[in-house]
Amino acid sequence: MLDDTAFEAMVSTHHGEIYRYLRRLAYRAPEADDLSQETFLRAYRARHRLTPDANVRAWLFTIATNVFRNHVRSERRRRAAHATVQATRREADPSGPEAEALAGEVRTLAEAAIRRLPLKQRLAFTLRKLHELDYELIGQSLDCSPDSARAHVFQALRKIRMTLNGHALPSTEPMCPTESTR
Amino acid sequence: MTSKSRQCVAIEPDLIASATGEAPPAARARVDAHVAGCLACRNDLTRYRAVDAVVGTLRADTAPAGDAEAARRRLIARLADLRTRLVSYRVFSSPLGPILLAASDHGVALVEYLDRDDATGSRLFKMAGVETEENGGELEPLHAELLEYLAGRRARLEWPIDLRFARSDFERSVLEATAAVPYGAVSSYTGIAGDLGKPSAVRAVAQALRHNPLPIVVPCHRIVGAGGDLVGYAGDRISLKERLLAVEGVPTLPGRVSRIVRRAMYHYAPNPDRQYCLPTCGTIFERPIGPVRLFARREIAEASGLEPCVDCRPDLHPLG
Repeated sequence: MLDDTAFEAMVSTHHGEIYRYLRRLAYRAPEADDLSQETFLRAYRARHRLTPDANVRAWLFTIATNVFRNHVRSERRRRAAHATVQATRREADPSGPEAEALAGEVRTLAEAAIRRLPLKQRLAFTLRKLHELDYELIGQSLDCSPDSARAHVFQALRKIRMTLNGHALPSTEPMCPTESTR
Repeated sequence: MTSKSRQCVAIEPDLIASATGEAPPAARARVDAHVAGCLACRNDLTRYRAVDAVVGTLRADTAPAGDAEAARRRLIARLADLRTRLVSYRVFSSPLGPILLAASDHGVALVEYLDRDDATGSRLFKMAGVETEENGGELEPLHAELLEYLAGRRARLEWPIDLRFARSDFERSVLEATAAVPYGAVSSYTGIAGDLGKPSAVRAVAQALRHNPLPIVVPCHRIVGAGGDLVGYAGDRISLKERLLAVEGVPTLPGRVSRIVRRAMYHYAPNPDRQYCLPTCGTIFERPIGPVRLFARREIAEASGLEPCVDCRPDLHPLG
């Protein structure tokens, strides 16, 4: 169990990362703000259930993931037209990378591809690739096995790759000409 | 468009893992062996590595520091607000039946007798501006002390108290005056009204104690009617009042309306010398309890700063 001092220390340590996670999922600052507050308020209410050996970071990610999934559910109920929401979000977000040059375009495409992923793939991908949680913990957060979590991440990578097909990517090594078009 | 060979399909998870640095050595070796002879998969590997590099740039992205800091400050403010509203509770068993104990950051806020071993009917859930949480641990020491008190092994419950559930400043002042009536002593509604300098507010005092959110802790069981009758306790739980007084050694006489046995108690009627008396001293026994305070034992009167009366000498002729 965490007392108030320990809880405040936990906020100091983890708030920034949880906020970034939710900002990546929700895009807009006010939404991320609300969702991160909800995450930590839930954590505070549940602090008695936290065992001394618990992985606090993973626990917070699990709560944040649940908060976000609930948020998505209620958003879906509230707004039938998902595409409209997305368009509004993009317009409302002044800090998008559109202004950047070629590398920026690829990133924008990748971000758009991530945004279009089915929710579980997107969560698994974000937790693994952007916050580097291990598959065991991602499985716990998403209520699935570590293998399923890995499959979600790989499926997400496949889709991002498909989106970026035909675009010049940062070179990691010389690429051979393909034998066939896929 | 050609489809992938079965080997290419089978190797793809390892290939992605290898490109993104997640493959164990055996899988990497399998991928290396495969791509050595498969140009398409070699290109896939390169492409996945490039995708991973793009993802890496996203990983490095951080939200504007000012946004995160502002969000953190708002969170701290909301946490502080939650703490002031949060009341944790638990239902415990006791010789008096199920009892709900509830405490906030400031202290114990509610002690409530329940009809069932279940909190759903508690008044806690009808209180405005309160967020409740069922608590497993923090309230257990209080329960242990309460049991000691009820078994007569503890005379004081020195708990910090939170009077948030008192409905007015007047109620708070009644509760504070009642809390000053010591263990083993008895006062009356009239006496408390007098202590507050509002001798005509007897009914209001009785009403305030009817809503006492902290029975036992704020010992409203020590407050009786002017005639010594045990009236009004936690609804109609007069028998509990009798039991609590019995724990403290206060003698009561059961009947249609139970009452205090005055003749078995020491009396104190406010006097300049602060002397307490035997019930046989002068006319003190005939006076309504009103402002008279009663004590089950001499030691309790003297611990309250009173002296034995020099006429009736309760110190030399203690009550049997």
